Amino acid sequence: MRSLPRATRGTTRRAVLAGGLAATVALSLAACGSGDDGEVTGGGVGTAEKPVSIRMIANDAFARQWQEQMVPEFNKLYPHIKVTIDGVPYGDLLAKEMLELTAPDPTYDIVIADDPWIPQLAKTGGLADLKGDLGKYTKSDYDWDDFNTGPLAAGEWKGKQYGVPLRSNVLLMFYNKTLYSKAGLAAPTPELTWQQYLEQAPKLVRDTNGDGKPDAWAVGTYWTKDPLTPTIWQTILNSNGGQLLDENNKPTFNTPEGVAALQTHIDLLKYAPPGAATYQFNEPLEAFRQGKTATMFMWGSVYKGTAIDPKTTTLKPEEVGIQVMPVGTASAGAHRGMWTGAVAKKSKQAEAAWTLLQWLSSKEGEKWHANTLGVFPARKSTLSSTPEQAWLTPVFKAIADGYVAIDKGKMWRPKLPESDAIQQILATQHSLAVSGQVTAAQALKNAEDEVNKLLKSKGY
Amino acid sequence: MSTKTETEAVGSAVAPPTAPADMSPRRRPLGDRLKDIGGRWLFLAPALIILVAVLAYPLFYTIQISFAELDLSTFTPAKNVGWLNYRTVLEDPGFLNSLKVTGVYLALALPLQMILGFGIAFLLNAEWRGRGVLRALFLIPMVVVPVVAGGVWKMLLDPMWGFVNYLLGLVGIDPINWLADPTLAMVSLVLIDTWRWTPFVVLIASAGIMSLPGDVFEAAKVDGAGWFATLRKVTLPLLAPVILAAFIVRWLGAVKMFDIALAATKGGPGQATDVVNLYIYEKAFRGLEFGTASSMATLVLAITMLLTFLFLRLNRFLEKRW
Repeated sequence: MRSLPRATRGTTRRAVLAGGLAATVALSLAACGSGDDGEVTGGGVGTAEKPVSIRMIANDAFARQWQEQMVPEFNKLYPHIKVTIDGVPYGDLLAKEMLELTAPDPTYDIVIADDPWIPQLAKTGGLADLKGDLGKYTKSDYDWDDFNTGPLAAGEWKGKQYGVPLRSNVLLMFYNKTLYSKAGLAAPTPELTWQQYLEQAPKLVRDTNGDGKPDAWAVGTYWTKDPLTPTIWQTILNSNGGQLLDENNKPTFNTPEGVAALQTHIDLLKYAPPGAATYQFNEPLEAFRQGKTATMFMWGSVYKGTAIDPKTTTLKPEEVGIQVMPVGTASAGAHRGMWTGAVAKKSKQAEAAWTLLQWLSSKEGEKWHANTLGVFPARKSTLSSTPEQAWLTPVFKAIADGYVAIDKGKMWRPKLPESDAIQQILATQHSLAVSGQVTAAQALKNAEDEVNKLLKSKGY
Repeated sequence: MSTKTETEAVGSAVAPPTAPADMSPRRRPLGDRLKDIGGRWLFLAPALIILVAVLAYPLFYTIQISFAELDLSTFTPAKNVGWLNYRTVLEDPGFLNSLKVTGVYLALALPLQMILGFGIAFLLNAEWRGRGVLRALFLIPMVVVPVVAGGVWKMLLDPMWGFVNYLLGLVGIDPINWLADPTLAMVSLVLIDTWRWTPFVVLIASAGIMSLPGDVFEAAKVDGAGWFATLRKVTLPLLAPVILAAFIVRWLGAVKMFDIALAATKGGPGQATDVVNLYIYEKAFRGLEFGTASSMATLVLAITMLLTFLFLRLNRFLEKRW
């Protein structure tokens, strides 16, 4: 991980809070400052004589790729905006961004936020409203209506547009056509139901080398204690018409459908490799790429590394299928996971920062992004275009189907500043159920009580 | 010339002319004494400022936050809520569970590390070829970044691809789900931490063993004491303060356990390895409940200080007794 530059202003109370926690519980964090509601500073887009510099904080999973490939492309159009991107591990990113945005003199002009983070970040008052604060710097041909509603909504909170989709992501189903064929099963289609899937799963657990022990399994996905693990259960719940919270932010997941959905997620373990109960992001990915699992419920953005890139996968493009997750009683399954780009309200180069985000999320920028880096698009025009690379065609279809399912089933994490806290509660209870310490019904009852308590304490 | 005279001679060589060497500090002129005190404080000032800025002030501010509701938009205490955060914390089953989990982890890990550490130190202090190489190798776990250690061990313990289960397979033992079973997950955490920190105990123990007075052992030998009697009646009593000192240092390190748990288990399955610092971290930086997180941190600090005080008193008692 690259080291991050420190904010340069004097120590303030926020630094003190972080430092205090660090001193007492050995957590190291540095921060400073307090928020204000001042006007956004434009700062221009630079000239040959006076170039401008902007800095971005992003997930280290893609920060380097952007720095090395996206920035030079952007600089062909805007040569006087110098862009530096600092990559931070996913687990540390939100906390660093929270502290950064409330600093009196933030280091970063652009923050890249995961889907549920926008309310939390916006609540600090540190994000600029792209349509309001920065509306005057928006290009006339920047077509807001061209975005699919799901991805764009990830950057919106309380009627303000704080972020634009830069790397759209959708929870999808991957399948290994070879393993399906060897098991004597037809390859899945987007119409595949959960019931059919679970009927086929035992047949996909096979001993391929004749030593009497299974060496190929049906499924890999998240099961470990992690805030992303409940997204699988949530998607099954959503595809059966259920919701996490109602319009008044009251939990609605503790229902027979909710329990059945959680039990389905747990039951998938029967058809998974040994040790799958600790699977998070990398493990199911690795198992699938090595041809050990016939299906994988995973974020679609890994498709290129799973099916195309020989450096990271043993599979060939023609072996890997991608589609929406199985169909429940209401719809197919998918889950929203957008990475959105937002501008720090206190940035002194907000215009240049917004210019970069606009270019990357524009019709042209998005097409370049998808065709060159294989990044999922959010615009209708991109998804309806013919991709430059053939492998993107089925991927575009799966993404488009996913967006439909997402809109229909409201398949996203809670859109509240407490989103992560809720996911944490769900993750803990989910993990208790997966490890057999409580039943699925008890886990959801506990989770309901805890979420109620949390939201009540926050004044909901 | 007596020692006292030598000291006085050196003192007179560096003392200012107005402060004769034979004049005790109390009898010096007030101006000189103030200048002397001022000079000392001047040299101490940078260290004190840094200490106050990075330790004392944050600490007191955390305590202040623990009695307040934090405004996220300004990161300042919005209003004083009295003992509400503490009441909330003491009614939080997750926090109480994390204290229990930390207690179990400490009760398992610390004795294991102490026994292994001192045992290995005895072996390394005996004369045998190659012990220098082994000593150097022993330092490696200590310099591995904890998150990396957690991640690597997670791979080693993987039931399908892990080396540990491969070795077990060679002797006919089926793959073990080290990190998915609540009991085994704690055992795994203790093993990883022991792998990482036993060398540190070995270092302290080696220093203690090397400083033991040889004549006492010779006397014991002359008196006919055997190996076990020497260990029980001479070595261990002499080493007792060192053992307790090592224990206190490890205790203070172990109570901060956070990153290995985060990397290896994320506190799971369920809350089986949810040590208190991990719980506080999640509350603060995921739940954004800085007030209650600060209360938890303050309580943990108080408990740690109290127990450390008791251990130090015990250490003093042992030093006096032997």
